[in-house]
Amino acid sequence: MSGKDKADPNEDWVRIVSNDGYSFLVKRKVALRSGTLKAMLSEDVNFAEAASKTCEVQERAAVTQLFVEYLVHKTTYEGAPPKEEIPEFMDRIQPQMALELLVAADYLEV
Amino acid sequence: MSGNNVRGPTSALTEFLRESGITATTIARRGRNANRTEQQNEEPGAGPSNSNEDESNEAGGSTRRAIDTAGYASDNLDEEDTESQPKKRRVNKADSAKQKRGKGKKAKKDDDEDYEDEDEDAYTALSKSMWTNVGSSSSKPPVGSFETCARCEAQFTVTKYTMAAVPPPGFLCHKCAKASGADPFKKPVVPRKRKPAVGRRNVVSFEDRKFPSLVSLCVQLISKHINDVEAFGDIGAANLDRIIRALCRNRSLTPENVKLFYGAGNTELTFYDATTLIPDSLCSLAYLNPNLTSLRIDFCGRINNDVVKTWSTALPALTRLELLGPYLVRPPAWIQFFETHPQLQGLTDLRLKEIGKLDDSFLDHIKTMAKLTYLDLSDPAESLSEEGLIALLSVIGPNLTEIDLSNHKLLSDDFLKEGLQPHMARIRSLVLNGLPLLTDAGGAALFEACDNEKMVLNSLSSLVVKSSATLPSTPSYSMQVVCSRS
Repeated sequence: MSGKDKADPNEDWVRIVSNDGYSFLVKRKVALRSGTLKAMLSEDVNFAEAASKTCEVQERAAVTQLFVEYLVHKTTYEGAPPKEEIPEFMDRIQPQMALELLVAADYLEV
Repeated sequence: MSGNNVRGPTSALTEFLRESGITATTIARRGRNANRTEQQNEEPGAGPSNSNEDESNEAGGSTRRAIDTAGYASDNLDEEDTESQPKKRRVNKADSAKQKRGKGKKAKKDDDEDYEDEDEDAYTALSKSMWTNVGSSSSKPPVGSFETCARCEAQFTVTKYTMAAVPPPGFLCHKCAKASGADPFKKPVVPRKRKPAVGRRNVVSFEDRKFPSLVSLCVQLISKHINDVEAFGDIGAANLDRIIRALCRNRSLTPENVKLFYGAGNTELTFYDATTLIPDSLCSLAYLNPNLTSLRIDFCGRINNDVVKTWSTALPALTRLELLGPYLVRPPAWIQFFETHPQLQGLTDLRLKEIGKLDDSFLDHIKTMAKLTYLDLSDPAESLSEEGLIALLSVIGPNLTEIDLSNHKLLSDDFLKEGLQPHMARIRSLVLNGLPLLTDAGGAALFEACDNEKMVLNSLSSLVVKSSATLPSTPSYSMQVVCSRS
């Protein structure tokens, strides 16, 4: 995988870890949709996260999963042609998760 | 004329004629004038050329003169020159009265054809037949009149379905019209309209493709389910503030979702941006949070007298109230509020930040607040005087622990020495931004004289620090922010 990094820095994978230990592997360009993760992974400041390509998110897995899903959803459909139908992401969020997700999204800048 | 205020689209020619003041009414009036001129001319010595001299004619000609002065004089001048012209006109009129009476459907169409290409608008202007004397022989007679059929020569009544004979002239009775193969009931062909351009080009709106952020999605979802509070589960006091923060950051704290955060269990409540909260929701805040001890509302510009009066009847436990920008509230409401909240009367913290009308007359009142520990008078429109502030600090200074006098541009080293220095022992926080008169030496003298381990020197930006002499080499207090701009 390390050989791949050199070729295209946006094509490598980063790990997002929830505070209860679940890992989510996403493409770097997906993770960069979040302002906070972007800062964590920035090469310029050399945080431990950037070196290990692992970001810990202080949210439980259910919330982290939704957050990652949103990042993927946005990456997938942002450049979509105008005619393409975009599924409503809101339908995926259960109301009881909304407040928790709101706080997480606010912190993670998405 | 008065009935023609509403006009449909018109052709360029019609518009031009209208601008030149030529309308069918004008023409008609001209015709009438011509008649009258003729009549007047028949009277001895009543010629329009000498009407000014003839007083006796004044009454009779007044109507006409009024019309003349209304802008048609030039027309009449022409007519007056030759007496025969009006007569001729009359004859003309009499001759073609029959043809002119209607709107001359066919003739009109013929005329229009010239510029129909450049303008597809329906022709809705007044009849032109009054001045276009082109032989309107084929113009349709009015509905209801009798006409002789051009083919069978029987008399028939003209209806709206009556058709012109082909070839002209004349009209056909219903029978002949049907026999000729034309359908008299056929609706007139509506001029085909240009297709609206909207259908052809589909502009992709950028707004449509923009993704809402996850935060705004959540806010939308919360608003959607706001009436089902149970759906959100238990919030908990610790999360309450984080959620409010997240909402406020997006200015999404609305009258709908703010109810989520009201509860009898709350003792502290902070709204960081209450811009969208209406007075009603601020009133219900007081009733639904009876146990509040500390309340802070930023950007609370919509708090008005009614809200404060409502608060006067509630919030019995309140000990701290912080409002940013409650500029709609008038003194009587405040007075009532403080009368009903005696616990708030001995003010300890006073922040009059960015008060445009702050002046020295405020100081006498502030002097009476003996319990003040926190004083913020920063960023006024006009600086308070140095003498006034020194006098103030001599009274309330001994209790003060925090003070902010930023942007009082008149303050100099004398203020540091006489005003602040005697009380430095107790001050924990000092903010003196934007004081251009302060010097290095003055600052150094102040800090050397004091020995206060608790002090947090918050900010001295814009204090001209020419050397490090202002700040002691071994500060005995912690320095949070020391900004210098030389």
